[in-house]
Amino acid sequence: MATTTLTDRYQRVVELRRNRTKSVFLRFSGFVVLGAIVWAWTSGGPLLGRLSAERRWTNFKNFVGELVPAPVDKSGNWGDAIPWAWELFTDKGLEALLITFGIASAAIILSALFVSPWLPLSSRKLANSNPMGIWGGRRNQFSQTVWRVVGPVVRFSFVLARSVPEYLIAFLLLSLLGLQVWPLVLALAIHNFGILGRLWGEVVENADVEATEQSIAAGGGRFSAYLSRIFPANFNRFLIYFFYRWETCMKDATVLGMLGLLTLGKLIMLEKGFHWDRVFFYILLGASVILIGDLFSTFLRRRLR
Amino acid sequence: MSSGSPDPFIRTGRTSGRRWVVLGLIVVFFICAWALGLTPKGLLPPDSTHWERTGKFFAAALHPATDYQDPNVPDDADPIWVKGFKGLLLTLRFAFGAMSIAVPTALFLGFFGSSAWWPEPCGRGLRLFLQTVFTICRFWMSLARSIHELIWALLFLSAMGVSPLAGMMALALPFSGTLGKVFSELIDEEARDAASALKAIGHGPVQTFLVGIFPRALPNLITYSFYRFECALRSSAVLGFVGIETIGLYIEFSYGESYYREVWTYLYLLIALIVLVDFWGAAIRKRLHPTTEAWQPRP
Repeated sequence: MATTTLTDRYQRVVELRRNRTKSVFLRFSGFVVLGAIVWAWTSGGPLLGRLSAERRWTNFKNFVGELVPAPVDKSGNWGDAIPWAWELFTDKGLEALLITFGIASAAIILSALFVSPWLPLSSRKLANSNPMGIWGGRRNQFSQTVWRVVGPVVRFSFVLARSVPEYLIAFLLLSLLGLQVWPLVLALAIHNFGILGRLWGEVVENADVEATEQSIAAGGGRFSAYLSRIFPANFNRFLIYFFYRWETCMKDATVLGMLGLLTLGKLIMLEKGFHWDRVFFYILLGASVILIGDLFSTFLRRRLR
Repeated sequence: MSSGSPDPFIRTGRTSGRRWVVLGLIVVFFICAWALGLTPKGLLPPDSTHWERTGKFFAAALHPATDYQDPNVPDDADPIWVKGFKGLLLTLRFAFGAMSIAVPTALFLGFFGSSAWWPEPCGRGLRLFLQTVFTICRFWMSLARSIHELIWALLFLSAMGVSPLAGMMALALPFSGTLGKVFSELIDEEARDAASALKAIGHGPVQTFLVGIFPRALPNLITYSFYRFECALRSSAVLGFVGIETIGLYIEFSYGESYYREVWTYLYLLIALIVLVDFWGAAIRKRLHPTTEAWQPRP
């Protein structure tokens, strides 16, 4: 070691740098993203719209002025805001919050129940004619072909389900099924079917293989290996993602009310343009509930980890 | 894990909590369904007009429009697929614009919302200062992401008027909150050996961060940013419903006029784009994290 000089070390650094792994694809992707960002900022019309700067500024000032609660605006006393807020809360706010909670919970549980049976069929290790690569007897051509297709098809169905935004599904279903709660629940459930499929699918994929291999080698099937080995051992990880998606569902259910059902979103749409102070109150109400939900689910996830 | 027996395969008297969690969730579902009045009957269209509309809508899925159904479209208008592609480009534009604001903001917030780079030993005054900045950043990130992007859009459009920048800001704000939170957690979870070694030989906190922590966390940061880009793309499409010109606006308009075949053309284009970006993201992930274990999806 004593004989290595500074130059030797420097050369070693140069050599290491030269031999580092490089990927043409990643570089290409990087340039595409950079180009796209430049294009996003330079193409199209004026970024700030067509209004003049002064006009925008007066609009903005008016808007901010309207956010002040009406009784406070009249009397100048912020103490008047409390009975005002309490009335808004008890009148419609609480009901809207409970409905939001119900929609989010029903939707996420529904999609969790529906996605569970598909998970072993989406796993690259289990959805084979010989699961886990363990020889399980001769398979005929038909079974081999079927198993070659099953995994990709299930995974692609997850991609499809999550590719359509939930707001769009809810918008379409509402006019087909009429104004009721099902379209919102279904929209959230369909979208989250795809998301949970991916998140839980990766948990199944990354699960410890040993116990699963034992089960398969002893003659067990894909589903029994999944139910008896993978599912119990990774239950907490499943729950972590479940609560994360539940939290997101709460946020989305609030907004889906903008389509016309009684969650906070509907109240916001009704009052917008007329009573910005009330809109602001509902927004803060929704945000505080989501903050609480966020803390709760972070706490749960920490506990489960 | 919670069983008292040293051998996990020997069952002890204590039942695991798992079955109670699963049963509890099923019970919660039925309570919610009861409270919201969800019945199996509600899954079917309520009357013959709705049945007819549903039939027409799904029949149109097999014949997406190759030409406008709207009779009032001028003759020199672009063909529908060109209009669809323009809608996709606008959707992409908002997503890229928003992410280019959100990622730098999130890096800033994530840096101050993490504690891995704090100097050791740390004086009491400095520690208090860092802790304050840390808490403020964390709180701001929670607040920004607890308001949905559509509501941000509503506020921005009302305050600033309809403009591309308002749409981008509406997306960028909540996204910077989510990205910043995950960035700070990724930075904090990264192994601290290199950082400790650097601190021990006298490097400052910023050097420690830039040399010892950031390069290691970078693949995870990129992968997560790309995942959020996919989300931004979906949100950008939905912004069309509050009046920003993306493909969502075209879908809403065609649907409102009952031009279902046009709706399906736009829907197929949107789905194709999102699936394509999904595959692009998977390809990037595969190259950044050669072993699957190195990448765990993040909430």
